[in-house]
Amino acid sequence: MASLFRNSLRTAAASSFHAAPRVIARPAASSAFLRASLFAARPVSAQPRVAALHTSQPLRILPAGPLNDAVPVPEANPTNGSFHWSFERLVSIALIPLTVAPFAAGSVSPVTDAVFGAAVVIHSHLGFEAMIIDYIPERKNPTARKAFMWGLKGTTVLVLIGLYEFQTNDVGITEGVKRFWKA
Amino acid sequence: MSASLLSRTALRSATTASLFRPTARALASVATSQSAPPVAGKQAPNIKKFEIYRWNPDTPDKKPFMQTYELDLNQTGPMVLDALIRVKNEIDPTLTFRRSCREGICGSCAMNIQGSNTLACLCRIDTSSTAPVKIYPLPHTYVVKDLVPDMTQFYKQYKSIKPYLQRKNPPTSGRENLQSIAERKKLDGLYECILCACCSTSCPSYWWNSSDYLGPAVLLQSYRWLADSRDEFGPQRRMALENEMSLYRCHTIMNCSRTCPKGLNPGLAIARIKKEMALA
Amino acid sequence: MFSSSTFRAASRLSMRQANPFLIKSTSPGASALSVLQTRSAATNTSENVTQDQAYSILVAQRKLRPVSPHLSIYQPQLTWYGSAANRVTGAAISGGVYVFALAYLASPALGLHVESASIAAAFGALPVAAKVGIKGMLALPFTYHSWNGIRHLVWDTGNALDMRGVYASGYAVLGLTTLSTAYLAFL
Repeated sequence: MASLFRNSLRTAAASSFHAAPRVIARPAASSAFLRASLFAARPVSAQPRVAALHTSQPLRILPAGPLNDAVPVPEANPTNGSFHWSFERLVSIALIPLTVAPFAAGSVSPVTDAVFGAAVVIHSHLGFEAMIIDYIPERKNPTARKAFMWGLKGTTVLVLIGLYEFQTNDVGITEGVKRFWKA
Repeated sequence: MSASLLSRTALRSATTASLFRPTARALASVATSQSAPPVAGKQAPNIKKFEIYRWNPDTPDKKPFMQTYELDLNQTGPMVLDALIRVKNEIDPTLTFRRSCREGICGSCAMNIQGSNTLACLCRIDTSSTAPVKIYPLPHTYVVKDLVPDMTQFYKQYKSIKPYLQRKNPPTSGRENLQSIAERKKLDGLYECILCACCSTSCPSYWWNSSDYLGPAVLLQSYRWLADSRDEFGPQRRMALENEMSLYRCHTIMNCSRTCPKGLNPGLAIARIKKEMALA
Repeated sequence: MFSSSTFRAASRLSMRQANPFLIKSTSPGASALSVLQTRSAATNTSENVTQDQAYSILVAQRKLRPVSPHLSIYQPQLTWYGSAANRVTGAAISGGVYVFALAYLASPALGLHVESASIAAAFGALPVAAKVGIKGMLALPFTYHSWNGIRHLVWDTGNALDMRGVYASGYAVLGLTTLSTAYLAFL
């Protein structure tokens, strides 16, 4: 993409040779180029490709209500706000000793291993959720947002079941990783 | 060095001359040199290219493009804003941009220069390389024309945080609301913000969700009132941020503090809001 | 202050004096350029319009406004590149965990062999260079996300959030990631 863009710049720069030599301060484009680019209905050849970069969004922010009104304040819900944030931090903090323990001790009890697995899945779930909120805005794509959120919830439940199976029928996460790493 | 001193003297005399032309002074955008460009003396011209984003609302079908201008730096002031004004005065009067104070206090000339957001009046023209200076409007804004972005949403968001002192009762003395020196000190680094929107428009989170996420500049101001010992509506202010969008789209990317032309730290202010909200 | 006609006359005068293209006002190029100072009807605000009309003009204009370039033109900086890397590495590890867990759950039905013994056996059969490479590719996102996660937790306490702290800790994370990735790859 970036190289496409630079191509068009090169075209613009190339036309600078037409400029009158005695003018000290001058546009790099000749007056002919100026006329062509500023007034002609047909854009200069390379420009439509530039445009693809610049006008990407189909939806525009239209003034909602009178222009001088403040944006509406969303309904307060600490479950999505400070509680959520604190919970995220607590899970992250818990992951530090849980990650270090196998390295320090060499092996861990099945309970610690299971807690570690659950913490990783919760942390992952929160991370994926943040990505969905960031990149699939509700205002633009409410259906897709809902689909992704429920899809994520379902997947996370399946992942928890899968890890439970691995924990009970196989050797567990820590031992499994170790087995793989030492292979 | 002597070359740039010379050119600055030339520029200053041109400005002084324009003081005596009231009609020309009234034209805010054509404030400086009215005469033909001063002769360059014996110096070889020091040509610098400026590539500037252009889009004209009168020809909306014509896509945005980059236009290249060349200036002799020996005859141009040291700042990017000097170059822009010179382009507008002497080369292309259709080039459109906002500017007012030319000393970094009004916040009008905020734009993306060489890839990062700053005030054109505080940004020196890079003389260390021959690469062209690239100038875009503030990133991910709706362009009104050329380098002029639509700031409506930004101001509407600023208004939503109630940027004024809120108290339940007037002070009992019937005079001003008093504050200790230590309490006043907490407002340093917060009240200096000029709302140029450099930080907000440098924030990827704000790029993707500017309609719901308040952005660093507005949150810095929110904290300015949360941190004010005289304000009695802290709990209400915090409640207004208790949702997943207004505050918590901040992922501590820190582009905001990296780009602030006033050297403020919106990222730290937001972190303090989050901490207060978690512990309060 | 000044009437609009004074304004317009002055602007034309100053343009002619300043712009070499405009001195020859008889040439077609110059006449074309002087058109630049007039505005089309849609944006001409000197005519009387009602507030409703002004509003609908604004709405019509807003629909046409392009979004200024962002990701593609913003300067690469440790701040947002580091943050993007944090998200990409996190998604990579979590994605890996999710894919493995789902594959393990579905393996009886699909006849896959993803139990630890068979994966370890398959991995053990690879040449050493491939083993080191794969371990490195797994260790890199894990170590980066871990170190940077600690950095974020420190930030959340309000520490190391000035530019000096952000950059020092950013480079520290890069250094620690390199060292720990190399260690794990050759383990």
